[in-house]
Amino acid sequence: MRTTARKLAVMAAVLPLGLALAACGGGGGSTASGEGGGGDGDNTLTVWAWDPAFNIYALQEAEKVYQQENPDFELDIQEVPWEDVQTRLTTLAQSQETGELPDIFLMQNNAFQKNVLNYPDLFSDLSGSDVDFSEFPESVVAYSTVDGTNYGVPFDNGTAITALRTDVLEQAGYTVDDFTDITWDEFITLGEDVLAKTGQPLLSGQAGSADLPVMMLQSAGASLFDEEGNPTIVDNDALTAAIDTYQRLVETGVLVEVNTWDEYINTLVNDSVAATVNGVWILGSIQSAEDQAGKWAITNVPSLDGVQGATNYTANGGSSWAISSNADVELAQDFLAKTFAGSSELYDTILPGAGALANWIPASESDVYGEPQEFFGGDAIYSKVVGYAEKVPSNNTGAYYYEGRDAVSVAITNIMNGADPKAALEEAQSTVEFAMGS
Amino acid sequence: MQSVAGYVFLTLAAVASVFPLYFMVVSATNSSNEVLASKLLPGTHLLENFRTLVGAQPLGVALWYSALIAVGTTILALAVTSVAGYGFEVFHTKAKDRFMGFLLLGIMIPFAATMIPLFRMFGDLGLVNSWIAVVLPAISTPFLVMLFRQASRSFPHEIIEAARIDGLKELQIFLRIYVPTMRPTFAAAAVITFMAAWNNFLWPKVILVNNDVQTLPMLLTNIQAGYVTDYGMLMLAVLIASLPAMLVFLALQKSFAQGITGAIK
Repeated sequence: MRTTARKLAVMAAVLPLGLALAACGGGGGSTASGEGGGGDGDNTLTVWAWDPAFNIYALQEAEKVYQQENPDFELDIQEVPWEDVQTRLTTLAQSQETGELPDIFLMQNNAFQKNVLNYPDLFSDLSGSDVDFSEFPESVVAYSTVDGTNYGVPFDNGTAITALRTDVLEQAGYTVDDFTDITWDEFITLGEDVLAKTGQPLLSGQAGSADLPVMMLQSAGASLFDEEGNPTIVDNDALTAAIDTYQRLVETGVLVEVNTWDEYINTLVNDSVAATVNGVWILGSIQSAEDQAGKWAITNVPSLDGVQGATNYTANGGSSWAISSNADVELAQDFLAKTFAGSSELYDTILPGAGALANWIPASESDVYGEPQEFFGGDAIYSKVVGYAEKVPSNNTGAYYYEGRDAVSVAITNIMNGADPKAALEEAQSTVEFAMGS
Repeated sequence: MQSVAGYVFLTLAAVASVFPLYFMVVSATNSSNEVLASKLLPGTHLLENFRTLVGAQPLGVALWYSALIAVGTTILALAVTSVAGYGFEVFHTKAKDRFMGFLLLGIMIPFAATMIPLFRMFGDLGLVNSWIAVVLPAISTPFLVMLFRQASRSFPHEIIEAARIDGLKELQIFLRIYVPTMRPTFAAAAVITFMAAWNNFLWPKVILVNNDVQTLPMLLTNIQAGYVTDYGMLMLAVLIASLPAMLVFLALQKSFAQGITGAIK
């Protein structure tokens, strides 16, 4: 017994070291060092971002583009997941150690206004930069604008799409055109028919998530808050219609609810559902199922019935670059203006390389955006999606957007379990008001 | 008959508790979409997953710092808290008892409340982004001091008296008599500290600002942060991250149980 214990102890000690060596040999190695941001004029910018296959790849390409004019320029990229960017920003702001901030950090669009309003000390604004914000869709610029001042350069495109399995639709006798420019009522009717003929539901979604209802809400240009930032969850026609639509989707079986995000992805890549409505970034997961090549197509999203200002365009997610208060502001502004806000070459590289779709409108005029995509039946989906992006109505997020979303998620779960919609939404409203301290 | 029912129940319970581990190991050998489809048989993607993992993440760096931090914390914590527990018990006075009670209040303060002052402190010391800043706050916890103090209660004071008469110095008494006798307590404390340090997430994430110094739990969140998660690679990383802690526990399991229930019978 004792010798077994000893052996195990030795293994415990040796294993990490052995693996460490193996990993280093494999090229994992360490990255270049960096000392945070700082206006020290050394021609290096430190950046916090997440997702090596997407954001970080885009940064590396942007570095190459900028180096053409500034050969000794360097980016020091630190991989930090979004949740941890938020934790660090909160800690740095509260401990006033802003000297540890990088020059540039990536921020989720939904959290942008909240952070600028709560921690203005962390940001440098972009007035005086060469970034031409009119070259971005208005709704996207609005996420990072506070009191008329721009704090972010939009990057990752969150435009919503409906992705459909054409082979399943064909079995039911439909084409993508039947799903284009339609309303949710029509979508449900079609969905019931597809379900009856093929046994496959159209949609899947994570139970208790407000993603889909909130996308519907934004498609009508509505929000959970008014211009002054007060919650408008009660007596909100668009929200009521969105929740009602969601409820009908579930009741008719057109949308199956699953428990986790991973299960949701599984329904897409393992043939359980025939469609999904989400931000365009979901295409990355869809394309991981190589056996489904040629079977998917893209169109716009259904609009809400009987709601003023309803459109077939909305967004979910997306992120923007912020310049910190600890930055070499001049260099950071120039870098962003000449890359993410000014280089077709950059977007032409990262679109095929990572599926990273531009928010910068001039990029969509390039040939790369118009190329047919074999995975999507030879359709030029990218120029199509950029076209959708320009039509997305603005969504007023404000400082308490996440609290609002969470409260609405709870309300939806309660309504699905049989609670009175009006009472559930009133409760959500008072939850948000409590969080706001009013 | 009753024993058959008992065996059936225990077998089911055993399967239920081992299954997640089995799934983790098997999934590390499968491709991402196979993991999503809950494939339960071993696959052929182990090497491929390892290559993707090493290519995408600084695995070597994370393993090195995880090991350094966990081993460093364990050694320092045992050294500090065993002396403290011994001192509180063997040289105890009313005032020290009261001070011990005050120390124990510390257990009730959640880490989130001390995180920001700690960050400022380490910022002023120039230790942001240093592994030392991860180790230092963890080397003296009220819980471990209490564990050693409670265990010391059953340590016979007569032995100490006898050792003093035989001419041993206080430090020698501690090192040559107390430490060998209290091995089970040391083992229990080591397991608790090692696991806590190995799995620690929030504080390293906040204080280690630069990718040059990373730990395994930080690396695991990096993998899940993207739009597309490679679940096969993720499961392999989880497997690599859990093995050392599991092995430490298995190695010290027997002493751990003894140490928790009381070192000396």
